Amino acid sequence: MTGSPAVLAEGLVKRYPVLGGFREALRHPLQRPKTTALEGLSLRVSRGRAFCLLGPNGAGKTTLIKILTTLVLPDEGKAFVNGHDVVRHPGAVKDAIGYAINDERSFYWRLTGRQNLEFFGALVGLWGASRDRKIEEVLGLTGLEAAAGRRFNAYSTGMRQMLAFARALLTDAELLFVDEPTRSLDPLAADKVRTFLRRELVDRRGKTVFWATHDLTEAASVAHEIAVIDRGRIRLQGTPEALTDNTRVPLRDVYEKALAAGGGPAREDGALIPGEAVET
Amino acid sequence: MSGPRSPALLAGKILAFLRRDFLEALTYRLTFVSSFVGIFFSSATFFFVSKLITPGAPSLEAFGGDFFAFAVVGIAFSSLLGIFQEGLPSVIRGAQVAGTLEALLVTRTSIPTVLLGSSLYSLLFQVFRTALHIGLAMAVFGLQLGRINIPGFLGVFALTALCFLSIGILSASFILVYKSGNPFGWIFGSVSGLLGGVVFPVSLLPDWIRWVSNLLPVTHALNGMRKSLLASAPFADVLPSIAALAVFNAVFLPLSLVAFRLAIRKAKRDGTLTHY
Repeated sequence: MTGSPAVLAEGLVKRYPVLGGFREALRHPLQRPKTTALEGLSLRVSRGRAFCLLGPNGAGKTTLIKILTTLVLPDEGKAFVNGHDVVRHPGAVKDAIGYAINDERSFYWRLTGRQNLEFFGALVGLWGASRDRKIEEVLGLTGLEAAAGRRFNAYSTGMRQMLAFARALLTDAELLFVDEPTRSLDPLAADKVRTFLRRELVDRRGKTVFWATHDLTEAASVAHEIAVIDRGRIRLQGTPEALTDNTRVPLRDVYEKALAAGGGPAREDGALIPGEAVET
Repeated sequence: MSGPRSPALLAGKILAFLRRDFLEALTYRLTFVSSFVGIFFSSATFFFVSKLITPGAPSLEAFGGDFFAFAVVGIAFSSLLGIFQEGLPSVIRGAQVAGTLEALLVTRTSIPTVLLGSSLYSLLFQVFRTALHIGLAMAVFGLQLGRINIPGFLGVFALTALCFLSIGILSASFILVYKSGNPFGWIFGSVSGLLGGVVFPVSLLPDWIRWVSNLLPVTHALNGMRKSLLASAPFADVLPSIAALAVFNAVFLPLSLVAFRLAIRKAKRDGTLTHY
């Protein structure tokens, strides 16, 4: 839906059941302890931006992405992607997004890169000549034309990551989710990925990239906007310039202060407001 | 749940799954060949075992009287039914373990389409193997079919396929939530092998346990198929098997669809849809 933000989340809560011990199961057979992944998270992401969700391990980044990509249902709250409710209209959400799953196991290792794209292309409704054209386009975009005929198991880690982007781009979606895309890449390959996502997809093609990372330098170098997430809540959100007071304050200090503040979400200009909910 | 928006799109997706699995199978050529070699050895084993059994034994009378034919039909079709029943949960389990399930579900492809598409290749392959099994037994070991009751066979086969697919959906629902230890596979798989009359007639079982056989769909499925294929039985003789299978379907089909819906919802709520 034109005009709606790329992502809008309001009061998202997600608690996962955790496996207790055998004794616990006997004592409380109908109750399972739960761990909180998201605790009333609210967030707004504008279109055509490189948006970095920055947070430590276990902060709730992946849970938020899984809710926004319809793989997990929230317990409470609402979330919209390009104006579509993720719970009520998951099909429309899936049409509107690409999710570059950062797991090499999500491909078929004994098939070639092209065969993988042909298969996933069919699942997003591409067929025949239009599918072939689209595959050539995304292979060209990701620099994988020469390797397209090789089996996936012969790809380097960097090539696998680029093929994940190629797969996510098959849908022509305006919004791309990437979860720690430079994890386990060497510095040059990581730079290539950052440049591709920011310059090619956001700056040249006008897409929105929703980028989860725990790398401060990465966030500072690529993001139009950063939100710091910790213990299931957005603690801080703003442009890198606003957050760092035009680079006068190191992002690391801002980040540490946000995490240390615990229960204190923030104004969009980056100033911490303990106890106040984020306006979306 | 999201799904395809037109029959053509659904067909395209199903074909894509079929092509994917065929291409993958081609990369495992030895497995491809050895699965056919296994058919020969299985047939040969039962051919020689059948020499020990006097033709026309009373327990085999209702099925044409020949133990070799009885065993070949039992084994060939129970393997096929095993794919109907085990195909769906193994698809879910395989995709969870391999890590591909998330990538499939983030596309606008419903879980039923993933299940159907991913199990189709094994199903077609097993249909081919079943036909080859019987064809090989006829060509090499002299297996003789009776005057085939085509409507009876098709009726029994269709209801059997639906029934075992329902059990497969129940199993898949269990795997979605609990990931492993599928009890339906145990009850309708291992138990059926012993009590379902796969390689010997259930009339040979002691009275105190024979009644359990009647609670297993495979007993009625194989009875109906053997009567249709081997005993030149008229449709009326196959009708009791068809009726029993219809009752199983009336229970399992709605139960499996409800269980599957609840399982998906629970797995998405618990965030474990793609866990293994």
